[in-house]
Parts: sequence; C-alpha cells; structure tokens
Amino acid sequence: MLKHRPVTPKMFRGTLAGSVLLALTLSGCTTAAPASTEPVAGGTLVYASGDAEPTCLDPHVGGNYPQALVSTQYLESLVSKNSDGEIIPWLASKWQESADGLSWDISLRDDVSFTDGTQLDAAAVQANIEHVQDPATASSTGYLALGKVTSTEAVDEFTVRLHLSAPDSSLLDSLSMPWLAIQSATALQRSKDENCQAPVGTGPFVVESWVKQDAVTLVRNDNYTSPPADADHDGVAWLDEIQWRFIPDSASRYAALQAGEVDVIDNAQPDTIDAAEATDSIHELNAPRPGASNRIELNAGKAPFDDQRVREAFIRAADINDGIDSLFFGTAQRSYSALSSIEALGVSAPEYFTTDVKEANKLLDAAGWRERDNEGYRVKDGVRLSLEFPISTNQSIPAEVSLFEQIQATTKEAGFEVKLSPMDLSSWYGALGANQYNLVSAPYTKVGPDVLRILFHSDAITPAPSGYYANHAQVSDPELDALLSEASEVTDANRRAELYRQAQDLVLSGYYLLPLYDQQNHYLVSSAVEGLRAMPTVSTPTFYDVWLNR
Amino acid sequence: MRAARWVVSRIAGGAFVLWAVATLIFFALRMIPGDPAEAILGGPGSQASAEALAQVRRDYGLDQPVIVQYLTAMGRLVTGDLGTSYALKMGVADLIGQQLWNTLSLTVLALVVAWGLALALAVWASRGGGLGTRVGSAMEVVAAAVPHFWLAAILILLFSSTLGWLPPISTGGPLGLILPVVTLAVPLAGFLGQVMRESLIDALEAPFALSARARGETENGVRWRHAIRHAALPAISLSGWAFGSLLSGAVVVETVFARPGLGRTLLNAVTIRDIPVVTGVALVSALAFILVTIATDAIDRIADPRLATS
Repeated sequence: MLKHRPVTPKMFRGTLAGSVLLALTLSGCTTAAPASTEPVAGGTLVYASGDAEPTCLDPHVGGNYPQALVSTQYLESLVSKNSDGEIIPWLASKWQESADGLSWDISLRDDVSFTDGTQLDAAAVQANIEHVQDPATASSTGYLALGKVTSTEAVDEFTVRLHLSAPDSSLLDSLSMPWLAIQSATALQRSKDENCQAPVGTGPFVVESWVKQDAVTLVRNDNYTSPPADADHDGVAWLDEIQWRFIPDSASRYAALQAGEVDVIDNAQPDTIDAAEATDSIHELNAPRPGASNRIELNAGKAPFDDQRVREAFIRAADINDGIDSLFFGTAQRSYSALSSIEALGVSAPEYFTTDVKEANKLLDAAGWRERDNEGYRVKDGVRLSLEFPISTNQSIPAEVSLFEQIQATTKEAGFEVKLSPMDLSSWYGALGANQYNLVSAPYTKVGPDVLRILFHSDAITPAPSGYYANHAQVSDPELDALLSEASEVTDANRRAELYRQAQDLVLSGYYLLPLYDQQNHYLVSSAVEGLRAMPTVSTPTFYDVWLNR
Repeated sequence: MRAARWVVSRIAGGAFVLWAVATLIFFALRMIPGDPAEAILGGPGSQASAEALAQVRRDYGLDQPVIVQYLTAMGRLVTGDLGTSYALKMGVADLIGQQLWNTLSLTVLALVVAWGLALALAVWASRGGGLGTRVGSAMEVVAAAVPHFWLAAILILLFSSTLGWLPPISTGGPLGLILPVVTLAVPLAGFLGQVMRESLIDALEAPFALSARARGETENGVRWRHAIRHAALPAISLSGWAFGSLLSGAVVVETVFARPGLGRTLLNAVTIRDIPVVTGVALVSALAFILVTIATDAIDRIADPRLATS
C-alpha cells in the first residue's frame, strides 16, 4: 500500500511562474494560419537561452552544454547518430577499427572546406585532437573522451589514423559529441581568445559577432556542403541569420516567446511547458539528454549508506512518483534506469524501486537502527540517522528542489533525517570533494553507455588532484569494475550490450542510486518555426533545416 | 576653509570605504568553500580534468598563498588596474565601461521617476485631509514594501502578456526601458513619499506657512513655493541611500528583463565566482554610492544653508 502525501507546488513561491500562467488564461491565444508548406529561405530567427552565457564559443575549451547548444550551429563532428542510435557518417565518410582494436582509420570527405577556406583533411583532424589534448586549451569533456587516444597519423591526405592505448568501444560515440567537433587548423593557430570569440568550422552557420552579455550573431554559410546523412535537405541553410540571446529568468523567457520577441527558448520549465500546451502558437520539442538519467546517488563510501540495507530502506521509503507527476505537470517520465531513455543499451528495472515503507522499516530494524528519538528520527548508538544532501541550485531546477523536499518528507516516516542544503556550484563541488554528503544529484551528459564506467568504476572514487570525481555513489565492486572495463574495450556489439546489461543490474540491485527521470531538455518553439529537430547525439537543436513560416 | 576641509574629509572617507569594500569582498569570496578553478572551468555538466585545473590555477595565480594573492590584487587596484575577468577573458574596466551606461541610465531614470511619483503622492496625500492622508500613506506603505521581482512579474503579466503594449525583455530601445524603470521606481517612490509627506505636513503647519498665507499666498503657492523645499530636504539626504538600493535592485530587474548591465554582470560573476569582476563591480558601485552621497550632502548644504555653518 503506497502512502500518498499532499503535493504542494512550492516552486511557485518566489517565482514568476504563477503569474505567467495567470497571464495565459487572461490573454487567450491566437492561432497563426500556416502561410506555406514549402520551405521558404530567408529571415532571422531569435533564440533565447536560459543557460549562462558561455565563456568561450569553442567547445574544446572547458566543454559544457551551453557551448554545445550554440556550437551545433557552426561546428560539425566526424560522425553523427541517427534517431535509432546508430553511428552515421558526417565529416568522416567511413572508418575501420584494426583487428587488435588499438588503431582506427578514419576516412574524411574530400569535398569539405572550413568557412575560412581551409580544406578539411587528415592534418585538420590531427590538429584538432592535438588542440583538445593540449593542457593549455583546458579542455575537460573532450579531453576525457579522448582519454585512450595516444597519437595520430596521416595515412594519406584524407585518412587519419588514431592510435589507442587500449581498445575503445565508445570511440565513435565520443567523436560524435560537439565537444570534439572539428575546427579549421588555420583558425586554431590563432590565440585562445580569438578562437573563443569566433571559432571556425564547417557548419551551416558562421559566427559573425559576439557581443558579450548581449547576443551571438550567426549568419548563413553560403558555401555549406556537409549536412549529416539524416538531414532533411541539401545545400545551404534556409535562415539568413540567428540571434542567440540569453534570458536567465524562465518566466521572462516564456513571456518573450509569447510576445513574439524570440522564436525558440530552451530550458523550458514544467509550468511554462504546461501553459504552452494550451496554445496553438507554441510547440514543444522534448529532447532528453543522453548519458546518465537524473538520479540521486547514495554515497556508499561512508556510514550509514555503506550498509546496503540502509540504502534499500531509503529507496523504499522515498515516494516520488506522485511528486514527479504534479511538480513537473506531467512533463517528466519517471525513470528506473541509470541511463537516459535515449540510450539503446539502458536497462529499466522498476522492481527495485517500489515504494514500501513497511519494508523500509524492517530493513532499518535489521540494520540496527531500531530506536527513534523524540523527533521521530531513527538512532543507533546515540547517532541520528541523518543524511547530508547538498543541492546545486545551478543544476537542480525549482521543481526538482521541491521534489527533494518531498523525498525529505516521505523518508522521514521511515526515520531518515534528510538535510537539504542548496548551494552555488563552487560550494557544491567543494562539499563533494570533501566527502560531506550522503545524497547527491549530479547530471552527466555523454553519448553512449560508457558513462557507466565514468560514474561507477572504482577508479573514479579517488579524487583527481582537482578533488573532482564522478563516482559520487562511491561504488567499489571488483566484479562491476571488470564488467565495465571489458565493455569499454569489446568490439562485438552483442557482447558489449550484455556486459552493460550485467553492469547496470549490479548497480541497480545494489541500491546505489534512485533514478528520477531523464535529464530534462525541453524547448518551446513558435509555430512559425518549421523543421526544427534535436541532434540525436547530445540533443542540441539544429537550425540547418529550419525555415520561418510567417 | 571649512568647505575645503569638508571636501578633503569626504575624499579620505571615500578612499577608506573603497579599501574596506575591496578587502571584504576579496576575503568573503575566498571564505566560501569550493575551488575557483572549478568555477572557471566548470559550468553545469562539465567535468574538469586535473591537467586543465592545474593550468588554470597557474594562469590565475590561484596556487599562490592567499596573502600574496591579496597584496597582488590590492597593488593592482591602487594603480587603477581592475584585472581581467576569469570567465569573459576581458579587462574588468572595459567590461564595466560597456555595462555602466546601461545600469546608470536605468537607475538614474528610476530615481527621477521615483522623485516625481513621491512628490505627487506626498502633495496629493497632504491636501486630501484625513482620508487623503490615510489612503496616501497606505499606498506609500504598499509601494515601499513591494519586492522588485514580484512587481516585475505583475508588470510583465499586465503590460506584455495581457495587453501586449510593452516588450517583456529590455534589450534595446526606449520602450524596453519603461517596465524596468517603473519596477525600480515604485518601491522607492513609496519610501520617499512617506518621508516627504510627513515633512510636508509639518511644514504646512509651521509658522512661516501661516505668515505666507497671511500675506495672501494661495494654498497651492504655499505648498509649491514654500513648504516643498522643507519637505524635500530629508528626501534629498535619503537619495544617496536610495541610489545604493537602486543599484542592488538593478540585479533583480536586469535579470528578470534580460537587460544587459552591471547588476546582471555581478550576478553572473558571483555565480561562477569571477572574483575580479565581482570586486570591480562592487568597487564601482561603492564609488558611485560615495559620489552620490557627497553630492546629496552638498545639495543639502545649498538647500539648507544652516547645515553649512553648523
């Protein structure tokens, strides 16, 4: 028997969300009649991002999602993925892994030029890999993804060979990511600041200018020849120009979309998605990010979660389905997987996550947490069953923070004290680095199931000199390590899938994490915008096929 | 001589305040747990490699002892060098120069509008008798208590989403300035209005008002020619403080209306712990606050000559 608690949408408190909802009901909505069914060239599209403005437009530097969003419009990768998750050609026409898996020959298209006129060739790819691996570039995401690449070699003008330290079954997944997009070798020789200001790629648009704290202006690349195999048309893009703006406040962003000041917004929050559903003038594009699901990780590296019974008890006690439904207005699907639903090899295991407070109480009794103090929390040897839960307010949206509050309330019945501490990103990194947490929710975007190795291999427990480590659950299981290592090297697709299945089963049945939902990635789009799709790689929208119907 | 001493003491006081602000900010930002290098490289969802972090620490001198970092920073400030933004890779002075006008135009306009509103409200409330005073004072209390983010939301709801008259974002053009200025001005007007109304009522009951009336001055003449100067005095003194509050209000207003400016720059910089930018914006705000305070003091001395001699 599940116990249902009343749900209060606390995110309304102190936000503009409620008033915008009210505005909708007051204003009514106009229906735009479609003016054309054939693509029309021309026009300027205005994009409003809720993310922080990137500090560098070259996604090799650092490497975060805001960079991926904008660079998808002007940079392209060696390979892409289709909507079935299969790797498809892009700047590379074909590829061949050597028999021992220690080298890859990648053949490039011979008819592609960068927008500065430089030819795409083997030397360009070499220069890019060198750029990402150069410490001076300070690449993070791309650098980690190229971890096994030891050197490169130009076999001929249009064939590049990558030498690896060990076979890498995720190499193509990695190369499909925007953080490893290919830039002009000539342009990369400029200073870091110049390259950050206007990277040069082969994409359908070109960075014309970037007025910091205002807008990035992208104009059409009139010599564009390299759409990915799954694009909707050939030749140049339809749009003349894209204005890429930054509107941090969710309600203002939505109001601007309603007012027709902008055409596409990202980071659409559940309340505005719900409001948009009632209109004809705005559509939603729901594009969950790849890699890990959004999940709460239970720190098994220290008490009390070093005891599997306590971990299971917490997961059994946390009642979250109703909270997700109401706080996210039905825009987020509950996940029972360690991986995003767009990952083909993801395993969903609802059986480990049924809420059962009775079972939770039994498990806690068995684990020795038998007594309760006068506030109702369980106690063992004079220590309260208390859990630190640092929350990064840069990463957890208000609806998610409210969900954590509900988890705090529901697990209290079983006798857990959850201490929620909202904090800024640096403080949050600090708390994680100092091992001052029992629960944590951290996103991780990466193409392919190899993200499991990054998140759950015991190598990732030891903090790097930076203090950062991705294995927040501090899972240390030699059997799991062996599975993940083998999976990252095995060539046979079926064997790889089986290894990742077993690995996920170990992680889920070990109660190291409480999956919540996919990494939410919702776009709201004016009905005048036609042909928008998200790249099947990291779910960034591409404006190559987009035209304006107004 | 007295005036010169006054000027010198103000400048010395101002310099001390600037130093205190710089020092406080420097240490406060380093007290927060966490690693600025992570912040420089990071951003949600990105994972910094050890090599990249080491490089960044070297580049920004974060591997130096705190006291060395402090002295280096102060040394630079004394020579007028505000340093380079961690995140935007540009000079902080240039960055502030770019954004200063946006925020100044917003805050100065808001101050002017607030004064206008407050005067109108005070005059109206002081003439309306018991009912007018009560209604006026209620309006002032409500206006003064309204938080910026709430008012901004209501204004967007009313004038953008419902009526469609004004843009919800303020990226350029005079129309886009209206909602942000009103958002900032209304709470301030409520506050200034309260102060003005009380002194206006006092002034209207003062002997000089009676003698003016006895000379045959009309009630409006008494109000506008005589009493208003007295009523304005405390409000002038408060305008220095009010300007400071407008600068902090700009953080909210610029964010909600997606308007470029110092407030938004500051918020972004605090979030990613861009220490040079936070320090630079705080110093410039402090400087503006000091200048406005000196200016209001000077105006006070002109408006009320008793202050200059006492």
